[in-house]
Amino acid sequence: MLSSEFAFHAPKTLDEALEIVGRQPDATKLLAGGMSLMPVMNLGLATPEVLVSLNHVLELAYVREVDGALEIGAMTRHRVVTSNPLIARHCPPLAAAAARIGDVQVRNRGTIGGSVSHADPSADYLAVLSALGASFRIRSARGERRLTASQFLLGVMETALQPDEVLIEVIVPKLASGTGSAYVRLTRVEGSFAIVNAAAIATPDSVIVAVGGASTTPQLLRTPQDAVRGGSKAMPAWAESAAREACAANGEGDVESEYRTAMAGVYARRAVELAIAERDGSPKDRFGSNKKGGDKA
Amino acid sequence: MNSAIRVTVNGRRHELDIDNRLSLVELVREHLRLTGAHVGCRTGNCGACTLIVDGETVKSCCILAADVDGSEIITVEGIVTSPDALHPIQAAFVEHQGLQCGFCTPGILLSTLVLLERNASPTEDEIRHAIAGNLCRCTGYQNIVKSIQAAASARTILSTRA
Repeated sequence: MLSSEFAFHAPKTLDEALEIVGRQPDATKLLAGGMSLMPVMNLGLATPEVLVSLNHVLELAYVREVDGALEIGAMTRHRVVTSNPLIARHCPPLAAAAARIGDVQVRNRGTIGGSVSHADPSADYLAVLSALGASFRIRSARGERRLTASQFLLGVMETALQPDEVLIEVIVPKLASGTGSAYVRLTRVEGSFAIVNAAAIATPDSVIVAVGGASTTPQLLRTPQDAVRGGSKAMPAWAESAAREACAANGEGDVESEYRTAMAGVYARRAVELAIAERDGSPKDRFGSNKKGGDKA
Repeated sequence: MNSAIRVTVNGRRHELDIDNRLSLVELVREHLRLTGAHVGCRTGNCGACTLIVDGETVKSCCILAADVDGSEIITVEGIVTSPDALHPIQAAFVEHQGLQCGFCTPGILLSTLVLLERNASPTEDEIRHAIAGNLCRCTGYQNIVKSIQAAASARTILSTRA
């Protein structure tokens, strides 16, 4: 049993949750799936005075199609993000990223809103949501605001969320037809956090790539004009050097930084290669060999 | 500070007044005396505490008991009709020596149950992904995979006969 006492609330509506959070925002912690918060509480590293569970706020669990985008409720579990047909069709790298989180039990419980709000630099969602141009809908009793990924993610486990605010929705623009996309990650042990990860989107004439894990927040890179002129052949090399440069400038400065930075370059390149291959209709596996069919897992 | 919850565990309803600090695995082990689920790491890694909550496997060391109000929970004790009977999956684990010390087994049995309910004849790859959240430090997994394959084919025979 946990050693420190806390008040526990399990509201059934968002309005009720916001009202409770608003009473003592600085003493309150929100509990989503708990796949990060509960281990930290079990280790005695987090001791909130008030815990507000969002697990019974069913109105925050949905995937909706709107004009040009998908709206994903913050309490949507990773299992749903992995298997939802709308996400698979319109935002395939997001489904691929969710499928790589933890293990079956973790994906059954963990939520997209919880993971994004926790903002671990290696989290599978952050690079892919940055590459996809996602935005984040945030609400408090004071009102609502909407932030882009770079406005929302401020640092290592640091977001723009104020103590009384709740992330309620992630809005993900649909990929246009004729684009290719890919998500890749480096890990030594199945189910571990990625050492680095990268998501790429190849449009007909340019490439967007985001890398996570080697920097405090995901580094989002777009092909500059000279690389665009170089065409598809020049883009993987551009991605590798640009990712290394960006991560070196924004690293966490820990002992692994040099290795992570090098791997960020390699995985940015691989993601770009895969996205271009998918766009051009010749899917390759992550080691670059040709593969029949369109397996994007 | 306490919370009042109602849960159904292995088909039995319980109304409980529990300490907010209690985890779900502690609830079933210490309050309901269902000690099949084990407490391993308390960090969501090992899967020894795996339970089925509302149809999905979860790591019950990382869920507060106060947060499962209204849920339907199945523990390893709940997969058999009587304490002496073996579920076909359990029988396959005995037959193919899918356990040594047995600490991880209750969790693996529940992960297997949910896998086979959704995928009656999984490939080896699908089996290994399905039990990726259950660590075993004895077997090297080889006999666990064999046991699950055997359970899958036994269940196929049962269902084609029915």
